Amino acid sequence: MQSVVEFDNVGLRYGTGTEALTDISFTLYPGSFYFLTGASGAGKTSLLKLLYLAHRPSRGSIRMFDQDAVTLPRERMPGFRRRIGVVFQDFRLVPHLSTFDNIALPLRIAGIQEKDLQNPVSEMLNWIGLTDREHARPATLSGGEQQRVAIARAVIGRPEILVADEPTGNVDPDMARRLLQLFAALNKLGTTIVVATHDIHLLQEIENAQMMRLDAGRLADPTGSLRHPPKPLVLKS
Amino acid sequence: MLLDFALPEHERKLIPDGRVSGSMPWVIAIMTFLTLLAAAAGLIMANAAMQGGADLARQVTVQIIEPDPTARKVQSDGAARILRSAPGVTDVEIVPDAQIREMLSPWLGEDVIDADIPVPSLIDIRLDSPANEEKLTELRNALSPIAPSAKLDSQADWMAPFFSLMNSLLLLAVGILLLLLIATSATVMLAVRSALNNHRETIEIMHMMGGTDVQAARLFQRRMALDALFGAVIGFILAVIVVLLLSFQFSAANSSLLSGAAMPWYGWIALAIIPLAITGLAMLIARRTVLSALKKML
Repeated sequence: MQSVVEFDNVGLRYGTGTEALTDISFTLYPGSFYFLTGASGAGKTSLLKLLYLAHRPSRGSIRMFDQDAVTLPRERMPGFRRRIGVVFQDFRLVPHLSTFDNIALPLRIAGIQEKDLQNPVSEMLNWIGLTDREHARPATLSGGEQQRVAIARAVIGRPEILVADEPTGNVDPDMARRLLQLFAALNKLGTTIVVATHDIHLLQEIENAQMMRLDAGRLADPTGSLRHPPKPLVLKS
Repeated sequence: MLLDFALPEHERKLIPDGRVSGSMPWVIAIMTFLTLLAAAAGLIMANAAMQGGADLARQVTVQIIEPDPTARKVQSDGAARILRSAPGVTDVEIVPDAQIREMLSPWLGEDVIDADIPVPSLIDIRLDSPANEEKLTELRNALSPIAPSAKLDSQADWMAPFFSLMNSLLLLAVGILLLLLIATSATVMLAVRSALNNHRETIEIMHMMGGTDVQAARLFQRRMALDALFGAVIGFILAVIVVLLLSFQFSAANSSLLSGAAMPWYGWIALAIIPLAITGLAMLIARRTVLSALKKML
């Protein structure tokens, strides 16, 4: 099966410090679902940053969409990034934009016409239960609401890879389950999902999801499954 | 690039419009005002130098230096007759004695002049082309049989230092204009860098979602263009008021030296273009500054 992402002996060092990530090797396949776990400071966010092309690795190779992402020219980055949805740990909503405009942002950046984005954004607002807050600014939203907006913004463009950093950290269990169902629905449509989380209960919500565990910047692959194609996804009822 | 000015409304919202509320439009207004004053001064001086220089270059004064009044009169009339028929001479006017005495009285005093001091006769002539040494020699030779003591002075000779000064001032005005444009560009660059820092978070988010550098640059150049246009219009209005007031004062001065010191018609067009040029320059600097800064981001 054709891979979406391949890391081979990747290392990441910030400045002249010690390596935040060491000898990371794994392969992500289309339509698969991965949980990334590990203690605080283990390197989860750093790994996600490499996945959504916020950093280039210090060493090793990364292939993404069958192209070398390490030597990817800067001017080709936007095209790659439009294929990746990101849920940031700190949401990173644009503070002066309304809920509607924040969710619509990726579509507008991609040049979607206004008439064509009204429906998908409204549907997304409805799905995350924030239709009545579509004109609200992020500062007036609760943490959970901001997180839902951040997730809606990440998934609205139907990305090929969705990278989420602690996406359920600020929502109640019911909303966390609904958000995972959204991820699972996207996954069924072929999106590769990578979710970094501390919440081990989430791992049980999605069958056949694979786990990547980081420990002090090194990847543990206890099942050895990271290098094998995933089985079809089944969401627990 | 100018089409980028008309961004769709949803793109404009990506960074908040801070126009008019910040200090940038007012800085641009002051810079535009000073630039326009420098340009106006340059245009007026260039016009004065061109008009006055061209006019004076064709004027020649003939002095008949003869102590005997009767002979002086005969020589003066004869010289005028010859000059009127001389090729290239378009106008000949014998300066009346009374006018000569009036001109000399501040230096010699009325009493001395009335004491029958010999005063040269003066003949003002105007040529159809600027006087040169060859032409003056030709006229001198034509006059020598009837007025051997005739002395010809081109007015351009004694006005040369004045027009040299005007040209120096013109160069100074152009220099000031360039310095102000450089200062305006530097101000815009600093303002854009500051705005870029303020909105770095938003730009990073846009980048992470696949936004291009050009998309980000368009936001800043549009905002800077609005600021610059507002400031440039204010600066233009103030500068036009000042230039008009000074023009009226020049006219009221009624001095022959300042006769050409007026804004030519094309000067007003040049002044009107400057605010637009400053707006365009601000847009260009904003775009280049943003693109240059974003290259350092991944």
